[in-house]
Amino acid sequence: MNRQALFVDGFWHNNTIFAQLLGMCPLLGVTTSAENGFWMGVATLLVLLGSNLVVSLVRGVIPKNVRIPAYITIIAAFVTIIGMLMDAWMHQMYLVLGLFIPLIVVNCAILGRAEAFASKNSVADSVVDAVAVGLGFTFALILLGGVRELLGQGELFGFSVFGDSYPDVLMFILPPGAFIALGFILAGVNWINRRLAARAAARAASGDAAVAVEVG
Amino acid sequence: MMRFDREQLQMVLALFLVAAIAAVLLGMTDLFTREPIAAAQRQTLHHALEQVLPGHNNDPQAEAAVVAGHEIYPARQDHALAGLAWEVVAPDGYSGSIHILIGLRPDGRLLAIRVTDHKETPGLGDGIVRNQSWLDSFRDHGLDDIRWLVKKDGGDFDQFTGATITPRAVVKAVKGALEFYRANRAAIVTRFGDSTDAAVAAEVGK
Repeated sequence: MNRQALFVDGFWHNNTIFAQLLGMCPLLGVTTSAENGFWMGVATLLVLLGSNLVVSLVRGVIPKNVRIPAYITIIAAFVTIIGMLMDAWMHQMYLVLGLFIPLIVVNCAILGRAEAFASKNSVADSVVDAVAVGLGFTFALILLGGVRELLGQGELFGFSVFGDSYPDVLMFILPPGAFIALGFILAGVNWINRRLAARAAARAASGDAAVAVEVG
Repeated sequence: MMRFDREQLQMVLALFLVAAIAAVLLGMTDLFTREPIAAAQRQTLHHALEQVLPGHNNDPQAEAAVVAGHEIYPARQDHALAGLAWEVVAPDGYSGSIHILIGLRPDGRLLAIRVTDHKETPGLGDGIVRNQSWLDSFRDHGLDDIRWLVKKDGGDFDQFTGATITPRAVVKAVKGALEFYRANRAAIVTRFGDSTDAAVAAEVGK
């Protein structure tokens, strides 16, 4: 697979949220606003980048039987380091995201990429994969956070969109709203994917017809 | 005697190295971030203190001291004690503890309260952060001139629509803070009194 296909695959076709439905805990927990979603996504992206990079560097060095505890240690170290850096230089956002930062350790998407991809591929490919998967995850968090913030508070990234007269739909800030909004987003993603598949099929069919004409 | 074969040794060595390198990196990051984290925490506390204390020209955090189990921050204007602040915890919020910074005049009347940490329901219980007129209803009150209960319980403080437990917990905790001050006022004022007060206290002590 070339790098571009690798990127599209990690960002869209195998998106952690849209396709694999992994990492639901931070997704549903922190996405009460687009900004929270963005920074949670960035923190996860940085951890993923670090763990994919190191795991692919040590692939073949770590004996197979102890690879999982080794990967978990690597991931936990990166999470703790990112957490300390955020605590130091982004203190307010660190307080908002709170417990969800240390919980990045148990985001199965990260161990999943270490085990399924970085441990079997080159450093460069692993970095591309981490960036693609991380951006895909961040995109999903911003999307869900944005929808919930917009419907729940009439704002986007803290800026008023619908004006002061907008009646806040509290449900979208509360946990049930996260599930409902996610359901509609997944439906939308499936609709887009079906349209893409139909268009690809149509193109393939017309290509076949052209070939057939030429042969004829 | 137990013998390790080559494969086992490799496993032990690999895990040892991974853990050791991780430990060194974590230690270095801690050294590197310890001071900025402490500064960020001081800054956060500073902002909160500025909102509950009256105008002052000292550094309340530098002069903080523990009296009767609470870390108390004094505000002084030209050495005269102008206000006191400390944090109380309401353990009975709707979801978990609510941390409240209390700002008090030395005579035992409230200046302001500010919630510094809570996990109450957004849109309902979090009125304790967003509802400024409710927060203002505490201003200037002491222990005896108002009934320290929410209206539903026969007191003078509003509850919020759809949220009674949260304001009830806050009112109870603030009342507890005022009772704490009444019980320990002598010790607190002695500890933080300005130099003149201290001299007077020493004089009286003789």
